[in-house]
Amino acid sequence: MTREKLLEVKNLQKHFAVGKKNSIKAVDGVSFDIYKGETFGLVGESGCGKSTTGRTIIRLYDATGGEVKFNGEDVHGKKNKSELLKFNRKMQMIFQDPSSSLNPRMTVLDIIAEGLDVHKLVKNEAERKAKVEELLEAVGLNREHATRFPHEFSGGQRQRIGIARALAVDPEFIIADEPISALDVSIQAQVVNLLKKLQKERGLTYLFIAHDLSMVKYISDRIGVMYMGNLVELAESDELYNNPIHPYTKSLLSAIPLPDPRYERTRKRITYDPTVHGTDGDFELREVVPGHFVRCTAKEFERYQNEQK
Amino acid sequence: MSKLLEVKDLKVSFNTYNGEVHAVRGVTFDLNKGETLAIVGESGSGKSVTSNAIMRLLPEPHGFIKEGQILLEGVDLAKKSMKEMQKIRGKDISMVFQDPMSSLNPTMKIGNQIMEGLIKHQNMSKTEARKTALELLTLVGIPRPDVRINQYPHQFSGGMRQRVVVAIALACNPKILIADEPTTALDVTIQAQILELMKSIQQKTDSAIIFITHDLGVVANVADRVAVMYAGKIVEIGTVDDIFYNPKHPYTWGLIGSMPTLDSNDEELFAIPGSPPNMLTPPIGDAFAPRNQFALEIDTVMEPPMFKVSDTHYAATWLLHPDAPKIEPPEAVKHRMQGFAQTGTKGGGKR
Repeated sequence: MTREKLLEVKNLQKHFAVGKKNSIKAVDGVSFDIYKGETFGLVGESGCGKSTTGRTIIRLYDATGGEVKFNGEDVHGKKNKSELLKFNRKMQMIFQDPSSSLNPRMTVLDIIAEGLDVHKLVKNEAERKAKVEELLEAVGLNREHATRFPHEFSGGQRQRIGIARALAVDPEFIIADEPISALDVSIQAQVVNLLKKLQKERGLTYLFIAHDLSMVKYISDRIGVMYMGNLVELAESDELYNNPIHPYTKSLLSAIPLPDPRYERTRKRITYDPTVHGTDGDFELREVVPGHFVRCTAKEFERYQNEQK
Repeated sequence: MSKLLEVKDLKVSFNTYNGEVHAVRGVTFDLNKGETLAIVGESGSGKSVTSNAIMRLLPEPHGFIKEGQILLEGVDLAKKSMKEMQKIRGKDISMVFQDPMSSLNPTMKIGNQIMEGLIKHQNMSKTEARKTALELLTLVGIPRPDVRINQYPHQFSGGMRQRVVVAIALACNPKILIADEPTTALDVTIQAQILELMKSIQQKTDSAIIFITHDLGVVANVADRVAVMYAGKIVEIGTVDDIFYNPKHPYTWGLIGSMPTLDSNDEELFAIPGSPPNMLTPPIGDAFAPRNQFALEIDTVMEPPMFKVSDTHYAATWLLHPDAPKIEPPEAVKHRMQGFAQTGTKGGGKR
């Protein structure tokens, strides 16, 4: 399959300093590619570094090490203002909490049009208003909503405003950092359906970060599982769910409760014991089955491969 | 089975600047010994308000019980004074809250927080209480309790903190444990541990649990019976199998359909359109009608009563009236119900 790589992340690292001497390795050498038009899901427990990865990719944090290439161009590194502008337009972000990510003192019109103003995409006020109204309708809101303030909306509607804001500058790539975790179940489905619809219409590429595995499985083409700042397994979403290889993925999958009482009565939870890998060893992502990568030592790699036969 | 708690036609309102908000509008259910009742619904459906009313934790006088009875073994809690309630809370009924960070006192050692209730309710001496606290910490699976008992909440992780909260709630062997979204703030792996913990403790102590959540996966895991709430009312109540394999109310269909399963494919999720009604002015007739694609004309005029489906299963929708047209659940939901049944018979052996 020849698919075009949109984003290449190579050995990305982000360490946070704690005091003078210590540092927390929030992201410690993560590598993956995202292809054009696909949805890449990133899952893991809180504190595993999935959000930090997303935020570092979009340059909300400066990377400690490693490379991020977008369309072959390096994202990090020195850039002048015009280069930054050009890059920012292509990559946008949707945040988890729709109430704290919208400025309470700006109207919806100004919130959504902020990107248009920064990138000088509209010539006059009428055009600006027309563009915002078009965006509002694209995300399922009314054009009358443009003059209102964020507090007048429900959580699901606010998240729609966040999505409209991200879409305003016609990006190619959107990072959605837990976009539905703060919403009610019935509203989650609305937002997920909207994201899927927009992807089809506009040919968007998503990086979808979440801890709700069934939702991630539903929306993603490929999924990466993170644990303690590392990517431990990466595969097509069906493959990952039907054939998890890394013990951590197995334990994570066995912990999800499904809305099915009969299944729940028989579900056995697997606990993950990180010591099974031993302490020494050359851990790296290796391709066990074509397209299915697992972080393991050379010895484990051999074992996993034999198990797959 | 003996009825431990009976809630009869409970109505709770809040006085606000904009007027009276009818948060709970006539909720009736009962709870038997040793069973787990899950209350599900969206935020604003009144599920937390119901539980707070049972504990009498409403912010009185703004929030108040307008009507109805809460009978704990025949005694009406709604008529108790605040002083009398203090003797009941923690002893007969106790509660586990959603956020373990904010439900513990950050300036008190864990041990003292557990011992507090034991000393107040059971007249234990300090040394006795400490011994019991150590046992409780072991029971909830905290390693090295003799060290941990002298630590403060910030020295615990989220999951461990929630275990401490569970230990406090269980300290006086309550008859009823109310768990208000106890695992929503936790990760799936930790969530699974806490759920297992609560189930195993329930088996040991035979206490009843009211479990409030919006996660249907969790409901399927813990509940014996399920009550689905919408706009301050119970719209469907039944055993867990009734609700998941034979749902009758269109709102329950929507809830079940909106959750993707692990084997669902690219079909669009069945989303409930619109958003919940404003409880300042509750709609006339069936509150769910504006969001219900199967709404009948009568739904906008008259509120449906509880129709009996079976001895354990009741639902409030006009679709169950003998004169109503026969309506099948939407395909997506039907598929899901069948899908569930299949994974059930396979014993979930897929993994």
